[in-house]
Amino acid sequence: MKRSVMVIGGGISGIQAALDLAEKGIKVDLVEKLPSIGGRMAQLDKTFPTNDCSICILAPKMADCYSHPNVNVMTYSEVKDISGKAGDFKVDVLKKARFVDEEKCTGCGDCFKVCPVSLPNEFDMDMRERPAIYVPFLQSVPRAATIDRAGVAPCSNKCPAGLSAQGYVALIRAEKFKEAVNLIRKTVPLPSVCGRICHHPCEEGCNRTEVDDPVAIAGLKAFVGDYVRQQGEDVPTPIEEERKEKVAVVGAGPAGLAAAYRLALKGFKVKIIEATSKPGGMLWWGIPDYRLPKDVLTAEVDYLLAHGIDIEYGKTVGKDLTLEDLKKEYDAVFLAIGAHESLKLGVPGEDLEGVVHGVDFLHRAADKETVAIGKKVAVIGGGNAAMDAARTALRMGSDVTVIYRRTKDEMPAIGAEIKGAEEEGVKFEFLASPVKIQGKDGKITAIECIRMKLGEPDQSGRPRPVPVEGSEFTVDVDTIIPAVSQAPNLDALGSKDLAVTKWKTLEVNPGNLSTNIPGVFAGGDAVSGPASAVEAFAAGNKAARYIEKLLNGESIEPEPEEKDEHVITLDDVKARMEGEITKSERVLRQHIPDDKRRTSFEEVEKVFTKEEALKEAARCVSCGPCSQCEACAPACGPNAIDYNMKDQVVTLNPAAIVVATGFDVWDPTSASEYGYKKYPNVYTAMEYERMINAAGPTGGHIVRRSDGEHPKKLAFIQCVGSRNPQVGHPYCCAVCCMHATKEAMLAREHYEDINSTIFYKDMRACAKGFNEYVERAKSDYGVSYINSDATVQENAETHNPIVVFDVGGKQQSKEFDAVVLATTLVPRKDTVELAKKLGLKLTEFGFFESSDSILDFGRSGVPGIYLAGYCAGPADIPESVAQGSSAAAKAAEILANSGGG
Amino acid sequence: MPENTNTEKEKPRIGVFICHCGSNIGGFVDVKAVTEYASTLPDVAYATDNLYTCAEDGLNNIKESIKEHNLNRVVVSSCTPRTHAPLFQRTCEAAGVNKYMFTFVNIREHCSWVHMKQKEKATQKAKDLVRMGVARARFLEPQEETKVDVTPVALVVGGGVSGMTAALSLANMGFPVHLVEKEKALGGFVKNLHGLMMTTKSANETIKPLIDKVDAHKNITQHLSSHLASVEGFIGNYDVSIGGDGAEAKDVKVGTIIVATGAVPLVPEGLFGYKEHPNIITSTEFEELCNKKELPKLKSVAFIQCAGARGQKVSYCSRICCNVAIKSAISIAENRDNMLGVTEEEGGVVEEPVAEKKAEDEGLDRRRRRRGRGRREEGEAGEESAPSSGVDITVFNRDVMAYGVENELEFNKAREKRVKFIRYVPDNLPKVSVKDGKLEVEYFHETLKMERTMPVDMVILSTPLVAQPDAATLSQLLKVPLGQEGFFQEAHVKLRPVDFATDGVYVCGTCRGPADIAEAVYQAAAAASRAAIPLANGFVQAEALTSRVDETKCTGCGTCVEVCPYGALRKSEEGISEVIAAACKGCGCCGATCPEGAITMTHYTDLQLLAEAKAALEEV
Repeated sequence: MKRSVMVIGGGISGIQAALDLAEKGIKVDLVEKLPSIGGRMAQLDKTFPTNDCSICILAPKMADCYSHPNVNVMTYSEVKDISGKAGDFKVDVLKKARFVDEEKCTGCGDCFKVCPVSLPNEFDMDMRERPAIYVPFLQSVPRAATIDRAGVAPCSNKCPAGLSAQGYVALIRAEKFKEAVNLIRKTVPLPSVCGRICHHPCEEGCNRTEVDDPVAIAGLKAFVGDYVRQQGEDVPTPIEEERKEKVAVVGAGPAGLAAAYRLALKGFKVKIIEATSKPGGMLWWGIPDYRLPKDVLTAEVDYLLAHGIDIEYGKTVGKDLTLEDLKKEYDAVFLAIGAHESLKLGVPGEDLEGVVHGVDFLHRAADKETVAIGKKVAVIGGGNAAMDAARTALRMGSDVTVIYRRTKDEMPAIGAEIKGAEEEGVKFEFLASPVKIQGKDGKITAIECIRMKLGEPDQSGRPRPVPVEGSEFTVDVDTIIPAVSQAPNLDALGSKDLAVTKWKTLEVNPGNLSTNIPGVFAGGDAVSGPASAVEAFAAGNKAARYIEKLLNGESIEPEPEEKDEHVITLDDVKARMEGEITKSERVLRQHIPDDKRRTSFEEVEKVFTKEEALKEAARCVSCGPCSQCEACAPACGPNAIDYNMKDQVVTLNPAAIVVATGFDVWDPTSASEYGYKKYPNVYTAMEYERMINAAGPTGGHIVRRSDGEHPKKLAFIQCVGSRNPQVGHPYCCAVCCMHATKEAMLAREHYEDINSTIFYKDMRACAKGFNEYVERAKSDYGVSYINSDATVQENAETHNPIVVFDVGGKQQSKEFDAVVLATTLVPRKDTVELAKKLGLKLTEFGFFESSDSILDFGRSGVPGIYLAGYCAGPADIPESVAQGSSAAAKAAEILANSGGG
Repeated sequence: MPENTNTEKEKPRIGVFICHCGSNIGGFVDVKAVTEYASTLPDVAYATDNLYTCAEDGLNNIKESIKEHNLNRVVVSSCTPRTHAPLFQRTCEAAGVNKYMFTFVNIREHCSWVHMKQKEKATQKAKDLVRMGVARARFLEPQEETKVDVTPVALVVGGGVSGMTAALSLANMGFPVHLVEKEKALGGFVKNLHGLMMTTKSANETIKPLIDKVDAHKNITQHLSSHLASVEGFIGNYDVSIGGDGAEAKDVKVGTIIVATGAVPLVPEGLFGYKEHPNIITSTEFEELCNKKELPKLKSVAFIQCAGARGQKVSYCSRICCNVAIKSAISIAENRDNMLGVTEEEGGVVEEPVAEKKAEDEGLDRRRRRRGRGRREEGEAGEESAPSSGVDITVFNRDVMAYGVENELEFNKAREKRVKFIRYVPDNLPKVSVKDGKLEVEYFHETLKMERTMPVDMVILSTPLVAQPDAATLSQLLKVPLGQEGFFQEAHVKLRPVDFATDGVYVCGTCRGPADIAEAVYQAAAAASRAAIPLANGFVQAEALTSRVDETKCTGCGTCVEVCPYGALRKSEEGISEVIAAACKGCGCCGATCPEGAITMTHYTDLQLLAEAKAALEEV
C-alpha cells in the first residue's frame, strides 16, 4: 500500500489539499508547473470581503507547505505520463532543470542584477520586465532562482565553436561590453577579427531571418571587440596559478593562437613557433586588409600574447628544428600549421608565366610585395580565397573575371564577399571550368573553359557540375589565379612518424585531437583541410582542453559531446511572446565610397557605432530566452548555479491524485467592443490588481498607460467575456462582482479623489458578508453601480475611455480616465492535455467534470483522482480551500480503504 | 540529537550572527559595524557576520560557534522568522541549544529594505534592533513541547446532507463517528423539499443513497431525536453527553466535533401580504405543496426574491433562493411530474418529462442555453407563446444570483421557457394585494419607468435561510462563536472556511451560511478532512508558548475564561483558572486582561519584553 498522494497544482487549493494530507501523516508530492507555488492568489493585492492582504495570508501557508516534512514540493515540474489505478498510480513527473540548486540558492537576487536579458514578467501581467534568471515574485516559495532556459538559441547552436552568440548580443544590448568580450573570448580569442571575417553560420540560424533579416551577430562581435579595446578596457586576465609544464604550439594561426591562449590562461608555459614573420596564419596572409586591417589583427594577437605566451617567428619545424626536439623540450606539442599549399588546377598550361596561385598571391600582396599581374585576370574558384584574390587583383588595377563551375547559389564564399566583389566590378563566369591554359612565348594568352551543367548532388550536398560536351569557349586573359583549394604542407614538418590521411592531412583522433605520437596533438586546417577560422578556433580550444588533461595526469579519453539541448524555433518564440514578432529593420554597416573601394585597401565595411550596435542588438528576440552568457554563475555567492543541470523524470507512486490546476485569465483583445490593447487606458482586472499592489510594477500607484497620471474617474465593466455565448463562455465566473467591488474600494483607499463606477448585469454578491460589502462600497467608498451592459470607445485626444451603456432603454455615454475590464476566468491552457493524460472528462467549457455534481462534487470519473478549486468550475478562495480539503478527505478515504496502515 | 544542555541557570553566553543576505542587507547596512557593536553588548560572547547565514556554511558557523564559544543563546539578525526561524531553531537544537533560546532579529524587511536611501540611519536602526534582541535573549528560558493524546472518535452534530456527508467521510477513513440528529429521521432540510436544482430526480430520491450509506456504515453510530446535553474538555478529549427524547443521556468520548446543524427558512411575517391569502406562500411551502400534490390550479405565478433579505429583515443575500426560484419556475413551465395536476381534457399535459429527453434534444437545449438571453433558433416552434404548461411565470428580483456555470445555464433556460425576470430596487418593492379574493402584484417597471399591475394566481416568496433557533445554545456549549447574522463564524473567512478558531471543532453546511447542496457537501468533506487530522495522528502537539497561571495570585474571577478566544482556560475544582495547554494558542489575551497579574506568557514574559523595550529606548 502506498501512503502517498500526488497533488497537481500549487495554488491555494492544492496547498490546502497537500497540507491536510500531510498533517494526517500522509506523504504528498505537490507538483507545480511554475517555479513557485502560490498560484493566482499570490497575484492578488487584497481579498474580499475583509480586504486582507492576499500574499500576507497566503505566504505563511506556502512556507508551511514547503517546509512540511511530509510534503515534497516539486516546482517547475509537469506531469508527463500516468498509468496504474487508484491505490497504485505510476506517474512520471518531468522535473525541469532550473539550473539553480534549490537547496543552495538563498534567493538573494545578486544574479538578477547581472543578467542582460529582459523578459516580460508574467507574474506582473507583462507590465514590467524581469531577467532570465529570476524568482517570479518577492515571496516566491521556494525562494530559489530559476533560469528561464527553454533551449539553446539557433545562433549559438550553429556556431562551429559553440560560442553563445545570443549571450554576447544580450550583453551588448545591456551595454555590458566588457562582459560581452569576455564571453566571446571564452570561445573565440579574437573577437574583432572573428566579427569581421567569420562566415557567421549564427546569422543563418537566427530566428529573425523568417520575420525580416537576421540580427547582424558578426557585426556586433566586431563592434564590441573594437569598442572595448578602444576604451582601453581590454586588460589581460591575471593568471591564477603558474604551472611548470611547457607546451609548444606550432603555427600562430587561429588554431594555434586559440590553444596557446587557453593553455596560457591555465598557467602553462606556452611557446608558439611560427614559420613566417607575422602572427595570424591565414588571417594575416590570406585575408586582405580591406576585410581585416592588419592593425586590428595585431592588436588582438598582442592581447593574447600578453598572457605570457612566448612566440618565435621565422622558425620552421622540420627545417630549423625537428618535432623530436620539441618532444624533448616540451611536455606537449600542438601542431597547427594550417593549409597554405595551393592545389593545382590540373590542366595543361599551368606552368606558364602568369599563373599565380591564390594563396601565394594573397601572401605576397599581404607582404606588400609588388605582384606582377596583368590587365586581364581570371580567378578560378568560388570560395573566400577566390573572392579575396579577385578583389585584391581588382584593387591592383586589373580587370577581373571569376570562373566558377557551379552557380552563384553554390558558391562557398560568404555572401558579403560575393556581393562586395560584384559591387566593385568583378565579373563572373558561372558554370564554367578551365580545361586548358593557352599561351604564347611561355606567357598566358587565354584560358579555355568548358560549360558545365548541374547534376545530382554530390557528397557535399551541392549539385555536381557536369561538363557539357562541345561547349568549350575561351576567355582572353594574361593572368590566372587558381584559388580552388589548399592543403597543408606536411613535408615541412619533416617527420616520418606522424600518421597522415590519404588527403594529405594530419591524422588525429577526432575526439581529442591527439596524433599517433603521444603528447603531440594537431588541429585546424592541417587536420581538416581548408576550413573557417571559427572552426580552427574550436580545434585550438579542444586541443587545449585535452592537453591540459594530459598534463594534469588525467585520462584523455574523448568525452561524449552532448549537444542534445532543444534548439529554439521561431514557433517557440512566438508561443512565448503570445503572437507575432514586430518587424524591425536590420542596421546596415556603412561602406566606404565605391570609388575608394576599387583603388584602396581601406576596410570596406565600417564597424558599428555604439548607437548602431545597441539598435541592432535590440532586434534580438532572446530565443533562449536565457542567453547563456554565463554572467550569473560568477555573481552567485553560494555557488548555486549549475549550467549543466538536466531535466529529470521522477516516477511517483501515489495512491490517489488531487488535481487543482486553477485558471487562466481570458484575454479580451479579441472582443473589440472593449478596446483592450487598442486604447491605452483600458486594463484587465488582473493588470489592475498588480498595479495596485505595493510590490507590483507601479509600486501600488494606479497610473494611466497614456500619460502616467492617476485616474480620477474609474469605470469597471463586468462580465467581459463571461455570460457571453458569442465568445463561448456563457457561464458566470462567480468572482468578478466582488472582485470589482474590492478594486473600486481599493482605488478610493489609495486616492481619495478617485470615483468608481461599476457597470454590471447582476451584482452577484451572494456569499457570506458579500452583500454587506457591496453596501459598504456604496456608502463608505462612494462606488456607483450602474445596471447595464457596457462597451468602450475613446476620446482620441485625451485617451480617455468613453463607456457606452444603456439605462431605461436609452443609450448613454460617459467619459472616464481609465476602464478596468472584469475578464472571465477560463481553465488553464494545458487542461485538455492534462485531462487526456489522466483520463478525465472535461465539461463543454473545459473545466474538469465531477462525476456527481450534487452529492459528490470533486470526485472525477476516474477512481482515485479528485478535483479541487477553479479547475473544477468557478470558485472563490474559501470555496477553493474547502474543495482542497474535501479532495484531501476523499484521498484519505482511499488510503484508509486500500488496507494501508 | 544531542540532549539540550541545561542553560537555565548558566550565565548567558550569547552568540550574535549578522547576515549580509548577499547585498540585500549588506548593500544598505554596514554589517561589519553592526557586528562590532553587537560584540560590545552585555553577555555577548561572540558576534560575527555571514554572507548568508542561512546557507550551509552559515549554519555550520552557528553550530561550530556554539561549541567553540560555549554559547547558550543565539541571536540571528537577518530576514523574516516566518520563513527562516524553523531553520535556525533546528540548527540550534542540533548543537544542543534549546530552540526557545533563540531570538530572531529582522534587519531586512524591518530595516534594509525600507531604508535603502538612508544607509547611516539603517545601520543605526540595525544596531538598535540587535541591541533589543540581545536584551531579550538574556532572559530567555528553555521550553518543552508536550503532546496530548487524542481519542480517535468524531462527533457530528446534525443529520442533514452536510452532517451525513461529513460522518460518512470520517467513517470511510476508519474513525468511529457519533452522528447526532435532533429529528427522528436523517435528511435535514432537504428531505422536506420536492425538487432540487440540476436534477430531475426528487429530493428524497436524490439523498436516499446517502442515507442508505450512513445507515449501513459500521463506523457510524446514529443518535436520532437527540441533542447535545453537555460538552466538556478540549481538542482530542471531549466528554459529550447526548440527550434523547425522554431517554437517558449517553456519554461519549470524542476527539473532534463537526457542527452541521443547518438552517431554517425565514418566515416572512408582515412581508408581501404573507398569510393574507392562502396563495401567498414561501418557497419552502411551495415545495411542501408540490410534495403533497396539493398545488392549486395556476395560470400565473409570481416569485418575489429577497423577501426579507438584503436589508429587509436580514442584511445578507441568501445565495440559493434565485436558483431555487429558477428551478421551480422551470419545473412549473415544464409541468414536471404533472405537478400542476392538469388533466388531458384540460389540454394541459404537455412536454415530455425532461428525464426521458432524447440526447439530440438535450444537445439542442444546451446550444440554446449557450446562446443565452432567451434567443431561439430560427424556425423553432412556439416562439412567442407562453410556456407549454400555459402558466405565466414572473420572477421579481434585484439581481439574479445565478453564479457559476450550471446556475447561469439554468437561468438562460428559464428565460427560454418564457419565464419573465423583472428587476426591482429596494426603494420600490413590489406590493402584493388581495382584491376581490384575487392576487395582484403592483410593481415599478425599471426600464419602462412606469407603475404596472400584474394579476396572479400565486405569489411565492423567496425568503432567506436564517440560523437555527438553537444555534446560540450550541455555540455556548462548544465555545465557538456566531457571526452577526447568527450563523456560525469560521476561523478565517478566506483560508479557514470550515475551522473554528478553537481547535478540535469544525463547521460545514448552511449553519455557517447559506449554501447549495453541492457546496454543503464539499464543505462537509472538508470539515471531515480537518477533523480527521488530530484523529489520524492520535495526538496533538501542544504549543510550548502558552499562558501560565500563578495559582497563588489567581482569585478565580474568571475574566480570563471569558476573554479566551480558544476556550483554553477553565476553572479548576479549586475555583482558580487553569490553562488547557492543548487548546492554548499563546495569544496573550488572558495575560493582558488578568487584574491580578497572575498570568504570564511563556517566552513572552514581562521580564523579556520589558528588557527589549528598555533596550529600544536606551541611548547609545
